[in-house]
Amino acid sequence: MHYDDKTLAELISGNLPWSETKDIMSGEKDNDRFHMIVDILQKSVTFSERILLPLGPHLYIVQKGTERVVKCDCGQEFGDYRMNWKMKSRVFVRDSEPSLQELYHPSQGVDTSWMELREFYCPGCYALLETEAVPLGYPVVFDFQPDLETFYEQWLHEPLPSS
Amino acid sequence: MSQHSPRILAIDAGGTMTDTFVVDETGAFTIGKAQTTPDQESEGLLTSFDDALRYWNTDRASVMPKLQTTVYSGTSMLNRLLERRGDGPIGVLVSAGMEDYFRMERAAQTYAGYAFSDRLHVVTHVHNQPLVPRRFIKGIRERTSFFGEEVVPLYRGEVAEAVRQLCHDGITALCISFLFSYRDPRHELEAENIVRQVLQEEGYDIPVYLSSRSNPVRGDLARLNTLVVEVYAARPSRQQLFDIRDRMKAEGSTAPVRVLASYGGTVSPDVEWLVTTLISGPIGGILGSRRLADLYHLENLVCTDVGGTSFDVGLITERELLTRTEPTVARFLLTLPTLAMDSIGAGTGTLVRVDPAVKRVTLGPDSAGYRLGVCNPDSGIIVPSITDCDVALGYINPDYFLGGEVHIDRERALAAIEEQIARPLGTDPFTAAEGVVRLLETQMRDHLYGMVLGMGYAPENYTLLGYGGGGPLHVAGYTVGLKFQDVLVPSWAAAFSAFGGACADYSYRYDRSVDMLIRANPSERQMMAAGLNQAWQLLHQRIAEEFIRDGLNPDAMTFLPSVRMQYLGMLDDIEVRATWPIDPDHGLDELIERFDSLFAKIFARSARSPETGYFVTTAIGVGVQVTEKPVLPKFALKGADPSRGAHKGQRSLYWNAEWHQANLWEMDRLESGNEIVGPAVIEAPATTLLVPPGMRAAMDAYRIFHLTSK
Repeated sequence: MHYDDKTLAELISGNLPWSETKDIMSGEKDNDRFHMIVDILQKSVTFSERILLPLGPHLYIVQKGTERVVKCDCGQEFGDYRMNWKMKSRVFVRDSEPSLQELYHPSQGVDTSWMELREFYCPGCYALLETEAVPLGYPVVFDFQPDLETFYEQWLHEPLPSS
Repeated sequence: MSQHSPRILAIDAGGTMTDTFVVDETGAFTIGKAQTTPDQESEGLLTSFDDALRYWNTDRASVMPKLQTTVYSGTSMLNRLLERRGDGPIGVLVSAGMEDYFRMERAAQTYAGYAFSDRLHVVTHVHNQPLVPRRFIKGIRERTSFFGEEVVPLYRGEVAEAVRQLCHDGITALCISFLFSYRDPRHELEAENIVRQVLQEEGYDIPVYLSSRSNPVRGDLARLNTLVVEVYAARPSRQQLFDIRDRMKAEGSTAPVRVLASYGGTVSPDVEWLVTTLISGPIGGILGSRRLADLYHLENLVCTDVGGTSFDVGLITERELLTRTEPTVARFLLTLPTLAMDSIGAGTGTLVRVDPAVKRVTLGPDSAGYRLGVCNPDSGIIVPSITDCDVALGYINPDYFLGGEVHIDRERALAAIEEQIARPLGTDPFTAAEGVVRLLETQMRDHLYGMVLGMGYAPENYTLLGYGGGGPLHVAGYTVGLKFQDVLVPSWAAAFSAFGGACADYSYRYDRSVDMLIRANPSERQMMAAGLNQAWQLLHQRIAEEFIRDGLNPDAMTFLPSVRMQYLGMLDDIEVRATWPIDPDHGLDELIERFDSLFAKIFARSARSPETGYFVTTAIGVGVQVTEKPVLPKFALKGADPSRGAHKGQRSLYWNAEWHQANLWEMDRLESGNEIVGPAVIEAPATTLLVPPGMRAAMDAYRIFHLTSK
C-alpha cells in the first residue's frame, strides 16, 4: 500500500486513527517509505543539514560538512554519531523514594536499593530524549550505533552522502 | 396466478444486502435480494421478499397469509458492536477490586482476532475502547468462593450508594456480575433487591441484569462481557425485530417471526437472552449442511463457505457437530454456545499485493468485500482482488454478475493485475492471476486439510460441501489432490445460509456451570446426580417460561439435557447427551461411556485419558419445538446430455498455464441427470460453478452438483 505525505505526517505526529496506524504497522513497507518519512521530518526541524537517519523522537544523525553528527530538532548538537550522545545531554536521576513518587503510586515503582531511573534531556530545548531503568552504577547505555554505509548501500541501494 | 404457495420465509440481513429464501409447500424455492435498510430493516426485507416472489409471478399480499414460518438472521447486532454504536451509558456493579475488567481485558483481548503474525508483533496489541467507561463501574465489597461459600458478606450500604451515584450519572441499564455468582447467586439477588428499592426511592426506572440469571457460567470477564453486550448491542435490536414482526403481521402474516441463534436453533424476538443471536452468519450454512447430511445419509461432512471476506470451515463428524462455548466476537471474549466454524481471512474479495522487498504475493488481510474489486468501476478499489483475477482468467462472466446488475470491467481488472502484480513479478498478467488464485486455493486447502487431520481422519473419510457466493467457483481448486468421497455443490449455493436458517427448529438453550468431578464413592455419586438433576430442573423451568411467553405448550417441548465434560486436566470440554432425571446409581456410568466414545469420535481413541478422571463442567438444557422445514424437491433424472437451450456459448478460460475453450451453461436450464464435462462454466445470476479441464459436474435429483475427476 502506498501512503501519501499527509497520512505519513499524521502517523509521525500521532494524529492518525489507531485502525490506520495498525494497518501501516502490520503492512509491508513501500520502497520509498524511508525517503518520504525523512522528507517530512526534514521539513519539521529547525536546521538545514541533511538528515541521514532518524535516531528516535527529536534526535537525528545529520550530515554536517564532512562530519556526521547527532542533532536534536531544536538544533542542539551532540557530536559524532559514533559517540554516545547521552554524554552531552542533561541527566536527571531518580534514585530516591520522593523522586520516584512523583511518577508512581507509593506501592509501585522500583526499589531504590536495586535500581534507578535516568532521564536524558536536551540542553537546548529541555525535551525528554530517552530514559533508562538500570541497576545502580551501571554504565550509561549506548543504545544504538547504526551501520550507515551498509544501510545506504545495501538497503536503500544508493551512496551514502559524504558532504 | 402462481402455482406456488410459499410456506417458509428465511431472511439473511447482511450489512449491505438482505437475502430472502422462500420455500413453497413442495419444497421448491426462490431467492430474492435487496439493499439492507439499517434504520428500518423491515423495509429492505419486504423489498427482498418482493424480489423473490417476482420469480414466481406472485405478490406479497396473496402469499402472506399462507406463510407458516419466518426465520430471521442478521448482522445488525454485530455491526453495532463492531462500530461501537450501542446503547448506554450502562452501569455495572462488580466485586470490589475487579473494577478494571474492561481496562485489563485479561490481556488476551488486546490481540483477539489478530492474524498470527500480529499476535507475535506485540507493538500492534491494543486495548479495546471499553464498552462501559470506568466511572460507571462500581466495586462492591463481597465475596463468594469458588465452592459457593460466603467469604465476605455483601456490603449493602455500598450497593445503595453506588446505585444512587449511577442514577445521578444517568445510566439507562444496570448489570450486576459478582465473582463466582454462578456458584451461588445470593449476593447478586440480594444486591438486586437493594437496587430495586433505591430505584423506586429515586423514581428511576431502568432494567437490571444479573449474570447469575442470564448466564451462570464460569469465566468472569467473558460472563460480564456477554451481559454488557446484551444491553449494549442486542437490546437495541429488539425494536427492529418487533418492527419486523409488526410489519409482517400488518401485511397479513400469522407466522411467528423467529431469530436464528448461534447454537443452531431459533428463538422468538421476546427471548430474554437475545445476545445468543449475535452470531448467526455462518450458522445457517452448518444447519443446511446437516440437513443435506441427513438427506444423503452422510456420516462425515466438511462444510466450506466461501464468502467475500472469509473462508469458513465446519465439520460434521459421525453426525456430530462441535459446539464451542467461549467464542471471540468483535475482539470480546463471550460466553455464547456457538456451532464451531473455523475461519481464515481468505475470500473472493481478498486483496492481492506483491511484497516489494521479497517479491512475494501476499493475500489480504483486507478485503474489497461486497465492492468486488478493481473490476467494479464504482467500487473505489485500486488494489486487485481475487475476483479481479477470476474475471481476468475468464472464470467469471463480466456481463452476468448478479444477473448483469453489477457492471464488471475486465480491462480495468487486467490493467491493475498487470501493473501491480505481473510487472513486479516479471511475468504476464494471466500467469500472475492464476498464481494468485492457486495460492488462495492452496491456503484454503491447507486450512480444511488441517482441520480434517486434526480430527484424526483423512479426506477419504469425508464428503465435502462447497457453498457461499464463491464456493462453486473455487471448490475445484481447493479440493485438488484431496480425495474426498464426493464433492457436492448445491445449485442454490449463494443462498445456502438462508436455506439452512429455514431448517432450524424452534429451540431455547441455556447453560449453567456445575464443575463436578465424578468420584468413585457411591454416596458422592448420588449427590452429584442430584446436583445435575437440580441444574436441569432450573434450566427446564427457565425454558418453559420462554415457551409460555411465546404461546407454546411447555408440555409438548422436547427437552434435551446434556453436559459438557472433559478428562480432568484437559483444556477442551465436549457436549454429551444425557438423560433427565439421571439415575443416581448407574446414570453417571452411562454418561462416562457416552463421553468416552464421543471423545474418540471427535478427537482420537488413543487420546482418551480416563485415568485422570472425569470432570463435568456445565449442565445444558435445550428445549425444542420441531418446526416445518424445507423439503428438497426430487426431480426425475434426465439424460446426461443437457438440452440445447442450456448452452450459452463459449469463452476462453485460463487453467494450468493454458487457454481452453470452455462451454458456458445456464444453471437454471440444466436438468437433473445432466453431466457437464470440463472445461466448462455453469452460470447462475448469484453464482458461478467452474468445471476445470479434466473434471465433470453431474446434477443429481436434488439439483446438487457432484464434482468428480473424469
